[in-house]
Amino acid sequence: MKRLSYGIAGIAVLIIAGLLIYRSLNASLVYFILPNEYAQQPGEYQGRRLRLGGIVETDSVRFDNESLQLTFMVTDSLQRYPVHHRGSPPELFKENTGVVVEGSFNDGVFISDNLLVKHSEVYEPPPPGESVDVEALKDSLQ
Amino acid sequence: MNQTMPSNPNRPRWLNALGLITLALFGVGAYLSLVVSPPDVNQGQLIRIMYAHVSVAWVCFLAVIASAVFGMLFLWRGRKIHDVLAVASAESALFFAGLTIIGGMTYSKPTLNTYWTWDAKLTLTALLFALLVGYFIVRGLLEDPQRRGRVSAVIGIIVLASLPFNYLAAEWFRTLHPAKSINLDGSGVQMDPTMLQVLLFNVGVAAFAFLYFLFERVRIGRIEIAREEALEAPSGSAEVVRV
Repeated sequence: MKRLSYGIAGIAVLIIAGLLIYRSLNASLVYFILPNEYAQQPGEYQGRRLRLGGIVETDSVRFDNESLQLTFMVTDSLQRYPVHHRGSPPELFKENTGVVVEGSFNDGVFISDNLLVKHSEVYEPPPPGESVDVEALKDSLQ
Repeated sequence: MNQTMPSNPNRPRWLNALGLITLALFGVGAYLSLVVSPPDVNQGQLIRIMYAHVSVAWVCFLAVIASAVFGMLFLWRGRKIHDVLAVASAESALFFAGLTIIGGMTYSKPTLNTYWTWDAKLTLTALLFALLVGYFIVRGLLEDPQRRGRVSAVIGIIVLASLPFNYLAAEWFRTLHPAKSINLDGSGVQMDPTMLQVLLFNVGVAAFAFLYFLFERVRIGRIEIAREEALEAPSGSAEVVRV
C-alpha cells in the first residue's frame, strides 16, 4: 500500500515535470520565426539577431558569382521578405524548399550570415528516366 | 554459491554465433544501403547516411526503454540480475546515442549546412547523452550495490521520461531537424517502399548489435556479481575469488 502510494506520487511528479518542460520548451525554444510573425510586430525584432524560417519562393533566386551575393525571397505564403546572403548556396538549397536564415532585418531586407536548409521528411527516388546528374555535380564542385 | 557462479567463464558458443550473425547482417545492411537503395530526389547519394543515422537512433531509444524497464524491475524486486540488465542496456544506450550524434552531424553538414544547432530535437538528444553519462558517473560514486542500483534505476527512468519529447520534438516544436517520415499513428509513411525496407533492415541489424552487446555485458555482469558476493562472504570464499 505504501509502495503503491509512492508509485502514484512518483508518476504524478513525472507528469507535472513533463508538462513544465513542455511549456518552457514551447515558450523559449521557438527556433525560428515566420515572415508573418515578423510582419505582425516588426518593431520588436528591429536590429535584433533572429532566425527567420520559410520557403524559398519560385523564380526568386539570384546568385552573383563575382560578389558571392545570394538573394532570394522567403515566404510563409502570407508574407514574403527578401533575403541577402553572402556566400555560395548550400548543396540542397533550391526553390520551393525550406530554409532557416540567421541574421537581422535592415529596412525590410533580411541580412543573413548563416543559411540553413530545412528539408522535408519525404524521401523518394528521382522520377524514372531522371537520374542524379553526376556531371552537373562535378561541375558544381569546381 | 555455486548456483550463481558460471560453470564456464568463457563466452558460450551461441553468443559467438550471435556476434558473427550480427557482423554478417551488418555487411548485408551496408550493401542494401550503399548499392540497392536508390538515390533520393533531393539529397542524392547523401540519403545513404540516413540509414545509419536513423537505425542507431531508434535502437538508442530501444536501449533506453530496456534500461528503464530493468531498472523498474530492480526497484520492485531488488534482484541483482535486473540491475546488471539495466546497466548493460544503459551502456548500449550511451554507445548508440554517441553514434546517433556523430552520424547526425555527418549527415546534417552536407544536407542542412551545419554540424550542430540548438533546436529542440538536438538539444534533447544532447540532454539524453548527458543524462546517460551522469548515470555512469553516479554509479561510480556509490559503493553499496543495492543503493547504486536504486539510484541509477531512477536516473534510467528520468532518461525514459525525456524520450517522448525527443521522439516528437519535430512535431511539437519548430526544429531544423526534419520531421518523422514514419508515423506510428497510422497517418502514413513519407518514404519510398524500397528505402523503407532498407531502413527497417538496418534497424534490425542495429537491434541485433544491441542484443549481442546486452548478452555479452550481462555475462560479464554475472561474473562481477559472483565476485562481489564472494568478497562479501565472511569465510570459505577464497577459492571462489580465483575464477
